[in-house]
Amino acid sequence: MNPFLAIDLPALLIAIAASIACALPGSLLVLRGQALMGDALSHMVLPGIVVAFLATGKISSGPMLLGALAAGLIGAGLIALVRRAAKLEPSAAMGLVFTIMFALGVVLLETEAARKVDLDLNHALYGHLEAALWLEPAIWSDLLTPAIWLTAPRPLLMLVPVALVLGLLLVLTFKELRIASFDPDYATLQGFRPRLIDFALTAATTLAAVAAFEAVGSILVIALLTCPAAVARLCTDRLATHITLSVVFATVIALVGYNSAAALETSGSGTMAAVGGLAVGLAVIVRRLRLHARPPAAGPGTGPDSAVQPLRPGSV
Amino acid sequence: MRLGRAPWLAMILAVFGAFSARAAVPPTVVATIAQIGQPLGVIAGDCARVESLLGEGVDPHLYQPTRADMKRLLAADLVLANGHNLEAGLHRALAALAERGKVLYIAETIGQERLLPWSDHHSDPHVWMDPTLWRDALTVGVARVAALVPACAQAMTARAMAFFAEMDALDAYAKAAIASIPADTRMLVTAHDAFAYFGRRYGIELQGVQGISTESEAGLARIEEMVRLLVDRKVPAVFVETSVSDRLVRALIEGAGAAGHTVRIGGTLYSDAMGAPGSYRGTIIGMLDHNTTSIARALGGQATGFSPQLAKD
Amino acid sequence: MLDALLLSAGYNAAVAMIGATLLGIAAGPVGVFMLLRRRALLADAASHATLPGVVLAFLASLWLTGEGRSLPILLLGAGGAAALGVLSVQALQAHSRLSNSTSIAVVLSAGFGLGVMGLSYVQTLPIAGQAGLDQFLVGQTAGMRLSDAYLIAGVAGVLVLTVAAFFKELRLISFDPDFAAAAGWPVQRLDLLANGLLLATVVVGLTSVGLILIVAMLIIPAVTARLWTQKLDRMALLAAILGGVSAYTGAAASAAFHHLPTGATIVLAAGVLFALSLPFAPLSRPRRAPQVLEPPA
Repeated sequence: MNPFLAIDLPALLIAIAASIACALPGSLLVLRGQALMGDALSHMVLPGIVVAFLATGKISSGPMLLGALAAGLIGAGLIALVRRAAKLEPSAAMGLVFTIMFALGVVLLETEAARKVDLDLNHALYGHLEAALWLEPAIWSDLLTPAIWLTAPRPLLMLVPVALVLGLLLVLTFKELRIASFDPDYATLQGFRPRLIDFALTAATTLAAVAAFEAVGSILVIALLTCPAAVARLCTDRLATHITLSVVFATVIALVGYNSAAALETSGSGTMAAVGGLAVGLAVIVRRLRLHARPPAAGPGTGPDSAVQPLRPGSV
Repeated sequence: MRLGRAPWLAMILAVFGAFSARAAVPPTVVATIAQIGQPLGVIAGDCARVESLLGEGVDPHLYQPTRADMKRLLAADLVLANGHNLEAGLHRALAALAERGKVLYIAETIGQERLLPWSDHHSDPHVWMDPTLWRDALTVGVARVAALVPACAQAMTARAMAFFAEMDALDAYAKAAIASIPADTRMLVTAHDAFAYFGRRYGIELQGVQGISTESEAGLARIEEMVRLLVDRKVPAVFVETSVSDRLVRALIEGAGAAGHTVRIGGTLYSDAMGAPGSYRGTIIGMLDHNTTSIARALGGQATGFSPQLAKD
Repeated sequence: MLDALLLSAGYNAAVAMIGATLLGIAAGPVGVFMLLRRRALLADAASHATLPGVVLAFLASLWLTGEGRSLPILLLGAGGAAALGVLSVQALQAHSRLSNSTSIAVVLSAGFGLGVMGLSYVQTLPIAGQAGLDQFLVGQTAGMRLSDAYLIAGVAGVLVLTVAAFFKELRLISFDPDFAAAAGWPVQRLDLLANGLLLATVVVGLTSVGLILIVAMLIIPAVTARLWTQKLDRMALLAAILGGVSAYTGAAASAAFHHLPTGATIVLAAGVLFALSLPFAPLSRPRRAPQVLEPPA
């Protein structure tokens, strides 16, 4: 058996697919001040998992995945509702909703049926990148047979369509997204509905996150939704470039992280998340150095500003 | 940093078709948890190389699979796992290898009727807590290892007989030790319910403060109820576990103290992880001996320890 | 329920109710400042960032004392790592144009990732005592002891006094940091003070009531208070009251009824107060709503 084909190829492919699936919605989330959506989702899925168990009596990934998806969508809807009703910034609304939903999950865990069963998220939902072995291709040329790809590990078969659908959606709605992201009032005038776009983005994020939770675990999803987009944010003001760079950086972070993990013999997800943080730190330093080199033309958003800086409308 | 482990190098090697030739003997058996790997290692002796993915002190809840672990699984001639969702983090890798017939889930070889149900197709996975069940599960594992090295079968059977005789003796010791606890105080109070098989086998009542999941949390009504139980039944000791925070149990002690009844910590029990590698408590027999003896002594029973090593380590 | 509300459901219930209530009172005003500074989830990032500190402290403690689980060393590691996390968020904000929520998310994921890396390294070492390492310092409300309640009382007292003493300065940086900076106020140092208050709340909260409850106590009462008033002094006072009331009633319910985990029930009680406020509070009506907390479109 070829260890690269069995271990590294599926892990790398899953990592890349997860990177793309998360970086696409993540790039927009970061622009909208919703970077913590991944963390919120990782907590909000708990009641969905427990209800799925209580309803079916099964510890199997099918119903639990559906339960997690449903809970994620409900939570995302509640966040949007609370934001509007209480006029809150996104992270405050997320904190409010995810702590309440997680608490609900903890209460459900103490019911008689769930009490004696190991239903914690690490056991029931969150997967590990490394555990996706692919034993079918014995030699490289096997990969040329289309049928062999149907035997690929399930996380890959799930994440690739999710990434493709998200990419297609983004391309098709790019114009609307751009306007809705930077000028919701104008968008409404133009007949677009920013709320609809908000909802579509949230649903897409939830889908990508839950699919990726099951494949690579929560920590990597939170990192992939945030770090690549943060690096891209430091590089460009153009929306299209920002999204493209997010996807590129996500892939680079995944590849560098995986190889570092292999060399250090540590967890792939944890190492990739740490590499993501490192990438943001490096980007901040490089940007500071470059701005020092040519200070006057720095433009807006270079000072110690704590608010989300809108992209320059003219440049988008 | 070992560059030889980098996947790029592995890829280059693979491209050039440089496969390492496998040594003929002895076969490599990888156990997921040390509760399987340690006894199997003793029984296999020189006949097979037995390793455990999760070392003696590692908690399955915290375990993070790494690429190095996957290589060990892939290189193994046989993988022995517990099953019943204990190795949730390794589930996918084990399922893939199981399709090739390389994995034996030893706890799943035991009939459902002898296990405690969790859900419609999973049972409580902590089967090693009952040495009679675990002996039967290990027997199936030993047979599979022996099939890999037919020349060794006889020697392995002899060692297995000796080991299982020791487990039977441990079972008899545990039965006597727990039975020597006065009926009123024969109650095992821990943070969470991980000792179900132990309780059923030796007839000791179990009271866990909270559910078994890592996310579960205790309620005050339950704490007060357990404090009253400790006071009313005059239970002298409660127990902490190596893998769970001791705060809840210490709160029970303080609550009972406020009601005028002194309770102490009867010892630290091994639930999912075992003791330090290389020590007596890092073996399956030592771990069960430690649990049984601590419980019996602290609750007013008679227990001298199954092995003199318990006092030494 | 009446028994529980009158603190006569038993010793443990009384200790937990008093401790949680004091923590709720102290966390309320701290949460208000965090909310106004758009750092609602900084507590979450700080809590997640404790993990690499705990792992390092475990190894250090093993090396120094031969025993991995030395409580003071582990606490030191957790506190140090949480402080480093908060400082990193502050540094990212000061030296880049990343928004608060992005900086917080980056530190949260990188900190937790480092922790997971550390755990995966420790599991390869032949040592006992590593089981349950991630949860070792994390407390549960129902398991509160008198010593925890005393510690909370002390820290809560210091927090409330500090907020009172620096109220004017904290108000300035909460509503208009740019003006405060232009007027010559040491905004960075005042931020450090606000973050220090948060850090104290997080470390005490994490070890006595656990992660979810401390994050909730810092957010939900503050958000609810902001529905009722725009004046900062009233908002802080109201958040303290709401935090205290949620903790008291939540803990009492958990003592009175079975199958109600204490911390989770307190979160739900705070959520109920928020939900009740939403339709009635003056500032949640669309027209008169303040735009202060909306991100610039």
